[in-house]
Amino acid sequence: MSRFRVAMDIGGTFTDVVAYDEEVGGYVAGKSSTTPGDLTAGVLAALATVDAQPERCSFAVHGTTQGLNAFLQRKGERVLLLATAGARDVYHIARGNRTRLYDIHYRKPIPLVPREDIVAIAGRLNYAGEELAPLDREAVRLAGVRARADGFGAIAVAFLFAYLNPTHELEAEAILREELGEGMTISLSHRIAREWREYERTSSAVLDAYTSPVVRTYLGRLESELTERGLNVPLHIMQSSGGIITARSARQMAVQTLLSGPVGGTMGGVALARRLTRPNLICVDMGGTSFDVSLVIDGRPDISSEAYLEGLPLLMSVVNFHTIGAGGGSLAYAEAGGLRVGPESAGADPGPACYGRGGTQPTVTDANLVLGRTDPTWFAGGQMSLDVDAAHRAVQELAGKLRLETVDLAEGICDVINAKMAQAIRTLTVEKGIEPRDFALVAFGGAGPMHAAFLAKELEVEEVIVPRFPGAFSAWGMLETEIRKDFAQAWFSPLADADHGKLADAAGALERDAEASLREEGIAAGHGRVEHALDVRYAGQEYTITIGLLSASEPLEPGFDDALSGRFDEAHERRFGHSNPGAPVELVTLRVTAFGDLGRARPQPLESQRGDGYAYEERPVVFGRSNRDARIVRRDALLVGAVVDGPAVIVENTATTVVPPKWQLRVDTYGELIMRATDKEA
Amino acid sequence: MATGTLDPITTEIVRSAFTAAADEMNATLIRSAYTPIIYEMKDCSVALLDAEHRVLGQSAGLPIFLGNLEICTRICEEMYGRDGWEPGDVWIMNDSYMTGTHLNDMTAFGPIFVDGELTGFAACRAHWLDVGAKDPGGPMDSTEIYQEGIRLGPLKVVERGRQRRDVTDLLARNSRFGYPAAGDLGAQIACVRTGQRRLEAIVEKYGRETLEAARDEIFAQTERLERTLVAAIPDGVYHAQGCIDDDGTSDEPVWVRVVVTVAGEEMTIDVTGSDDARRGPINCGEAQAISACRVAYKLLINPDNPPDGGAFRPLSVNVRPGSLLGAEEPYPCQWYFTPLGLLIDLVVKALADVLPEQAAGASYGDSMIIGLAGVDPRNGRPFFDLEPTVGGWGAWQGSDGEDGLINNVNGSLKDLPIEVLETKFPLRMTEYSFRADSGGAGRWRGGNGVIREYTMDCDQAELFLWFERAKTPAWGLFGGGTATPPAVVLNPGHGDQRTMLKASRVPLSRGDVIRTMTGGGGGYGSPTERDSDALSRDIRAGHVTADVARTIYGLNAEEQQQ
Repeated sequence: MSRFRVAMDIGGTFTDVVAYDEEVGGYVAGKSSTTPGDLTAGVLAALATVDAQPERCSFAVHGTTQGLNAFLQRKGERVLLLATAGARDVYHIARGNRTRLYDIHYRKPIPLVPREDIVAIAGRLNYAGEELAPLDREAVRLAGVRARADGFGAIAVAFLFAYLNPTHELEAEAILREELGEGMTISLSHRIAREWREYERTSSAVLDAYTSPVVRTYLGRLESELTERGLNVPLHIMQSSGGIITARSARQMAVQTLLSGPVGGTMGGVALARRLTRPNLICVDMGGTSFDVSLVIDGRPDISSEAYLEGLPLLMSVVNFHTIGAGGGSLAYAEAGGLRVGPESAGADPGPACYGRGGTQPTVTDANLVLGRTDPTWFAGGQMSLDVDAAHRAVQELAGKLRLETVDLAEGICDVINAKMAQAIRTLTVEKGIEPRDFALVAFGGAGPMHAAFLAKELEVEEVIVPRFPGAFSAWGMLETEIRKDFAQAWFSPLADADHGKLADAAGALERDAEASLREEGIAAGHGRVEHALDVRYAGQEYTITIGLLSASEPLEPGFDDALSGRFDEAHERRFGHSNPGAPVELVTLRVTAFGDLGRARPQPLESQRGDGYAYEERPVVFGRSNRDARIVRRDALLVGAVVDGPAVIVENTATTVVPPKWQLRVDTYGELIMRATDKEA
Repeated sequence: MATGTLDPITTEIVRSAFTAAADEMNATLIRSAYTPIIYEMKDCSVALLDAEHRVLGQSAGLPIFLGNLEICTRICEEMYGRDGWEPGDVWIMNDSYMTGTHLNDMTAFGPIFVDGELTGFAACRAHWLDVGAKDPGGPMDSTEIYQEGIRLGPLKVVERGRQRRDVTDLLARNSRFGYPAAGDLGAQIACVRTGQRRLEAIVEKYGRETLEAARDEIFAQTERLERTLVAAIPDGVYHAQGCIDDDGTSDEPVWVRVVVTVAGEEMTIDVTGSDDARRGPINCGEAQAISACRVAYKLLINPDNPPDGGAFRPLSVNVRPGSLLGAEEPYPCQWYFTPLGLLIDLVVKALADVLPEQAAGASYGDSMIIGLAGVDPRNGRPFFDLEPTVGGWGAWQGSDGEDGLINNVNGSLKDLPIEVLETKFPLRMTEYSFRADSGGAGRWRGGNGVIREYTMDCDQAELFLWFERAKTPAWGLFGGGTATPPAVVLNPGHGDQRTMLKASRVPLSRGDVIRTMTGGGGGYGSPTERDSDALSRDIRAGHVTADVARTIYGLNAEEQQQ
């Protein structure tokens, strides 16, 4: 009976479900309104829409924004932070930098723990992890007493050099457990991020303490309700790294699930890269008010070992997301007689004028509506209808100020935002040493496919891919990933001075931890693999590049130093455009990652047809400042092999794809829409 | 010009294309630079200029590099003529009296020809680690510019697309770190070439005529916007003055005096009343004094829009040649930014009465540099730790100033983590904390400075210090209090205790303690008007002591009990 592999992605407005039916070899997607009070109700309703009740699931994966929402709304647990005496203010000094340079009113991101809730604890290690002063056990005990008396819900412990020697943090944990029992959340910095830089490690531990009680409670409830209703396979959770873990592990280190929702899209990109043999993809996720870009390079997600959440650092493997201040919600306005679009956004509230929630300034979403590129009755799969008149009024009023025709301004707003989004993507790729022309563009989210062809044109990208279920692509991506567990350990040494035996021993120990963790995740022997890497840099640099090792014992091989430096020089050349062969190299962090295969959907090719034998209607849509007769086609009317020449608009439940004039769309074997520029017009 | 046919949509797309071209130049520079001072600290800036040396696009870089890169292409043209520009050339210069900054800042620039016609310029400036001064990095006690490194007027480093090996060799040979110097030069050349390619592509895409019309309209919009904003400031003549402690070679204060005149849509910032150039390295070339005034103007008038050729048109700056802000040969300029941080705060102070919402109390003021050099007993190798120190910023209407933030003439610099510091150097950081009560009191409190205490774990070392603003600590506004000035104490509480602010090569031995304390920012509004919740939060957090709460904020014992 268990025949569905399902992914459940709970967003702010909708809960998306994508299910792969192993019997027929095909996918179905469903959605339901998110039910904020009791999220499981929304999940169950969404599962019911595709007839994949819990007992019928052979594999279940879930992406959650619970932790992230608690963070964004500052509704996490009240945290008491224990820090090394003398370094108590490190968390608030926050390295003293500023991210906006022309601002005498600059404030740092507000820390999650106020200064009075940071307790200085005597006890000190040195640069080698050796004890200079013993831990003040009494001070730790008193902190525990205070935590209970004042009702703190979590404790973070971050001591200097704990990444080298965790003894003091572990001692503190034992004392606190004695004082507070097993129920209290205690986040130890070395466990969350075994890396140097005390501010970043402290911030990571605090983020864990702040969000994990919420996530833990939620996951516990979700899992038990699903089990009660018949789920008889382990529930898996998407991590920020793009890999998944069992809900049981996720409860132990909930901070890893913080960006669980959006990374599904990037992992969907990875799966498309594999399926379409297109290894390099720019993934564009554009919703009504947001615009996120991530990259797939050589078939792998672009992952970084550090992320910032509203300016607060998190040392953890995280898919690189670039949130660009331009999107459907970007406001258009007049300034000094000129037109401006963004970076200010109408946000979700009041949102674009056409949402009818009181917004009166025109946004990109309003402009699309005025141009006829959005179907007002089909927005969000018909769950929300748009007010065309309100959009028209908003654009018209600005057009009056700028002495333009309403329709001309509407298209102009789109042209400006497309140019800006493309420029932002281009700058991102230049920073990485990548030429956008070598990439294809994957567009998803409700509005991504609407702008994709225009972005591709600006970037000289040849091909645009609109996956199936573009509005639920994150959920689809979750079905296509694998178990991933990251292990890291600070290993600072100039390469020339490195003790190769100790390095190999440390890598071996991490490898054993990694393998044990795969067994804990339920991965059978032969279904896992382990990768090893070192963070390397030239002496004098601060930032590092992660360089792969062939095995845990590679450091013992003769010629290891030359081999590693050579790989590093090459990576540096690729990333920064130059290298410095022969210059002294430093090792900073040792990393081991375990992957476990949980099987994957093997879909059947879809039904095919030839040419343009599909139903459509014609409606005027504005392109090039004038009304053109465009074919309006429902996506489910298009079978594999179908070809649609622009101008056309493809509508479906979760998104709208715009095919501009001189573009052609073709439906690929598995149902993806592939768009390319052509010379001919329909 | 056919401006009539130009629509606001094209103008806006062209405007963002110019800005994006500058962003891409910046990304190229940062991506390919060799030294962390550029790719980490972003001590650099780029600009795309039109054929008349006006800014088309500029990427947010170091604020005080803002708005004067064009001086370099102008000077080069004055010296070698309009005919001196050749396609494919890249020039470089660092002369302090021409570029305004210290010799470490190298500006590279090149003409952009499209279809054989001179169409614009690309320029970038970046801080080089070492340019061959008498001391590594740069001296703290130079008395003439010849001690500060190699000095270059406009020098052709790429000729018709070919990099000159003789010039590259000269530059590398004159640096203690020749290899990265050549690397950073390469990065700057790559940046200029990116600018050349992007502007060519833009001209090709939109056509010269549309582009010129769009450019004129972009400049006109910016000028209109700024004129409106300046016109909104009440007319008048506004004064402010302050001093830096000394020039590093004597005890005499050095005065910076600012007169701001607002008349209708025009503003003039006059700094001619500032002191004559000094013997020590706190002088600055005119170009940078102008740039600092533009930064202050921008902070107050229009902080959000990226500057273009229409920006600063309502602003004139008067600098007196021969003064410390208009330094001439051979006055030393190594610490040119020390008076500029003060100058920026003074312009804000002068206009505070008429721009009370935009203004803020003064900030702690300067980079507060500590240098520690010696031999690391763990490996027998020499070490050199050179760090700026964060401090408090001024409060403004509606908010306290920030505690422990890097100073305004620095880029996006981060402090050195304790774990990194102790791993790399034979030092221990025994304290890094906020300095309570150091921010000026106020209805909105000035930010607190910090205490950073080093204990030496090696037998012999030398201490270098450049701490400033003890004689003009950060002032408050509208009744807000003055901040505590900086202080550095060697071996506090011991018989050999010494205090100092600037120092060069002070001998240290194992166990010596150096306690550095930075100043706070100025307060805003009277302390007695401070919200009582905010005050009790401050007391709980330890940012304000109970004593100051009572004596300065007027908190009575009963309230304190609560």
